[in-house]
Amino acid sequence: MTRLLPTSALRTGAALMALTVFASAQQAVTAYTNATILPGGKPAMSNATLVVSGGKVIALGGSALKAPEGAIVIDCKGKTITPGLIDASFQSGTKSEDLNEQSDEVTPHLRVLDSIDPEDPRFQRARNAGVTTVHVMPGTRNVIGGLGCVLKTHGTDPKEMVIKEDASMRIVMGAEPSMSNRAIRGGRVNSMYYRRPTTRMGVIWAVRRAFYDAKEALNKTQGAPGDAPPSPGTQILTQVLQGKVTAVTTARSEQDLRTALRIADEFGYQTIIDEAQDAYMVADELAGKKAVVMLGAPSAEAVAGSARSDGAAPRAGTVAVLAAKGITFVITTGTNTAALPLINEAMFAVRNGLGPQQALDAITIEPAKLLGLSDRIGSLAPGKDADFVIWSQNPLDPAAVAESVLINGQSVSQPR
Amino acid sequence: MQILNQNRTTGALLLTTLLAVPTAAQDVLVQASKIIVAYSTEAPNNMVLKDSALLIRNGKIAFVGADIPAEARRAARVIDYGNATISPGFVLAATTLGRDVDLGEGAIAFTPDLLTADAFDPWLEQLDTLAPAGVTSFGLVPSARNVAGGIGAVGKPGLEQGRLIAPEVFVGFSVSRSARNQERQPTSLMGAHQMLRESFTEARDGVKIGPDLAILRQVMSGQRPAFFYADTFAEINAVLDIGASFNFAPIILGGGQSERVIEKLAKRGAGIVLNTLSPMMRRADLELPAKLNKAGIPFCFAGRPDQLRLSAALAVRNGLSRSTASTALTRTPATMLGQQANVGALRTGCGADFVVFQGDFIDLSARHIATWVDGKLAHGASAKQAMKTRNTNLTGGR
Repeated sequence: MTRLLPTSALRTGAALMALTVFASAQQAVTAYTNATILPGGKPAMSNATLVVSGGKVIALGGSALKAPEGAIVIDCKGKTITPGLIDASFQSGTKSEDLNEQSDEVTPHLRVLDSIDPEDPRFQRARNAGVTTVHVMPGTRNVIGGLGCVLKTHGTDPKEMVIKEDASMRIVMGAEPSMSNRAIRGGRVNSMYYRRPTTRMGVIWAVRRAFYDAKEALNKTQGAPGDAPPSPGTQILTQVLQGKVTAVTTARSEQDLRTALRIADEFGYQTIIDEAQDAYMVADELAGKKAVVMLGAPSAEAVAGSARSDGAAPRAGTVAVLAAKGITFVITTGTNTAALPLINEAMFAVRNGLGPQQALDAITIEPAKLLGLSDRIGSLAPGKDADFVIWSQNPLDPAAVAESVLINGQSVSQPR
Repeated sequence: MQILNQNRTTGALLLTTLLAVPTAAQDVLVQASKIIVAYSTEAPNNMVLKDSALLIRNGKIAFVGADIPAEARRAARVIDYGNATISPGFVLAATTLGRDVDLGEGAIAFTPDLLTADAFDPWLEQLDTLAPAGVTSFGLVPSARNVAGGIGAVGKPGLEQGRLIAPEVFVGFSVSRSARNQERQPTSLMGAHQMLRESFTEARDGVKIGPDLAILRQVMSGQRPAFFYADTFAEINAVLDIGASFNFAPIILGGGQSERVIEKLAKRGAGIVLNTLSPMMRRADLELPAKLNKAGIPFCFAGRPDQLRLSAALAVRNGLSRSTASTALTRTPATMLGQQANVGALRTGCGADFVVFQGDFIDLSARHIATWVDGKLAHGASAKQAMKTRNTNLTGGR
């Protein structure tokens, strides 16, 4: 008993100390000094200091910026700091069945957020490779799949991770949405999959009909108040037409890319083009329409998975073509199962003719702008979320390792 | 004449014998050295009577222990279980009695206004497995295949046939994998979530609503408990979100990954009906009951009736207190089913549903002597003997 008392007292003391440190970590000021900082959207700074407190960046500067008094100083000599990477088209690990509501081909109101599991190993993998924010969308087996959301890659509750709900509505071109459907050719019709669309034409017909209904609903609401409200799906489509919800059209082959632009024109909504493997073939049209492109896995030589039959022919040089035409684009991992970690996709883009800063911007500040979140994430500046990565060297070097990944100022890296 | 007289005597004798045979209306006094009237999650709060008795009248507990009036005690048929222990019978919170086919309307996934009571067969063979496992009442739940399956009932087994004591009690929902059917809406979890969100919204805000949405309104007003099949993190999280949005505390059926949502479950006042445990399970699963209890989340078990005791024993071996484990087999499920006044305890007014064990039923070595349902012996080797004689010393007698 006499021995037990002091030991337990010591233990309690140690626990208290640990608690105090933990509690103050949120408010403590931490300075990361002597680093090469690539702040996102701006040129690199050498011997720079990043000061973080309360989950936010409070200062960023060159060697002239001194760590505030009382700050925890972490010497980052030889290391490179970048903003946390943003994957604007990220495939979550949720099973395909749960990412696609197959009872209807047009389900604009379904939320991918409802199927998010914070312990999804893909979040963990992305986080370990420096990705701190992802834009997740429903699957690609529906013509209009539903609403995407933007999440930080760390948390225990999807509601805490989400930084933008209903961030986008996905429309899918090509063969995938019609894949599981069958045409009636006699015999017993014993499944809901005997339905339209079964062809590319049918897919576009479904898109057109959905937007036609939405337009009708818009006109009706204006004309006759007191009418029954349109269906939840149609309500989302009307918001797309009004520019309140961003449309993202997943299109890979040349013909699908052209169709995506044409349909958007026809109904007068703006759309981001997702995947866009054949973008180099339609670069002039994309530039002319001022389209924004989320280029899926530009390093991949082919489209793997169920979109293989879309007939897209990806080329490594697409990044350089888009850059030369002045098209706004971001680099994503997208739906291609052959995608590399996001940082390596940027690295390959550099190898294929994109400038290093532009490549890094395409996975940091550009996706932040595209998602409407550049006031919070995508670059390192006072007031922004303290989401950043400490790399062993320049992250575009193939040997670079994300040594430390921080979200809201807290380390989320795992031991290697 | 002589012959006639003789016949008359025989007749009178026969009549006397018939009268001596206890009738249904006669009180029964059940004695034992230990009677647990009700379990509590805190051991000292268990209501335990030593060398006491229960007086059963019309299938219910009429008096307990010292409250039994002397004249009723004298008039009653006495059953003495000697040094055995009498505890409340087990309550199986949710079962389909193996009749999933009849309890999941296949055509559409949203059928909250169907009644499982309509599919109840009192002669079902599965009912015969309940009393031998100590189960004296059960929740008849719709199958997990429909997002809103229907209204569940509460029933009891019997020596020959079972019966329902409350035909319309709780509502059975499901967002588990079996509710997501690739041949009808919804096929996905987000589809199931959306279906619930839209239906509850319409039930809350709609002016003219049908009988199906009226059921959801009863859930929101707390009139009916809501049971949701949900197993994975995303499924449980979806159910808790729906509960929070529409202001009710759900009861999760399954809840395999509930450890990951434990704080949220506690915050939302949700309960869990865990699947019965087995020794082959991962340690984390076996420790789950103790963790849920620590977080203040009410839980019980459902699944194979013959594994209820084993589940309680395994939970105790992995950190749960005996009294909480016993509560999880009796009072907790009774409360979840809203039947705490009728089953799960041996208080005055409750059904005379109890189990008799030689020792504590949490000890797997304790011998199960008998199960009584509605004041009648439903399982036990001495059934015939008990019914025949006025004073019976049964197995386990002093």
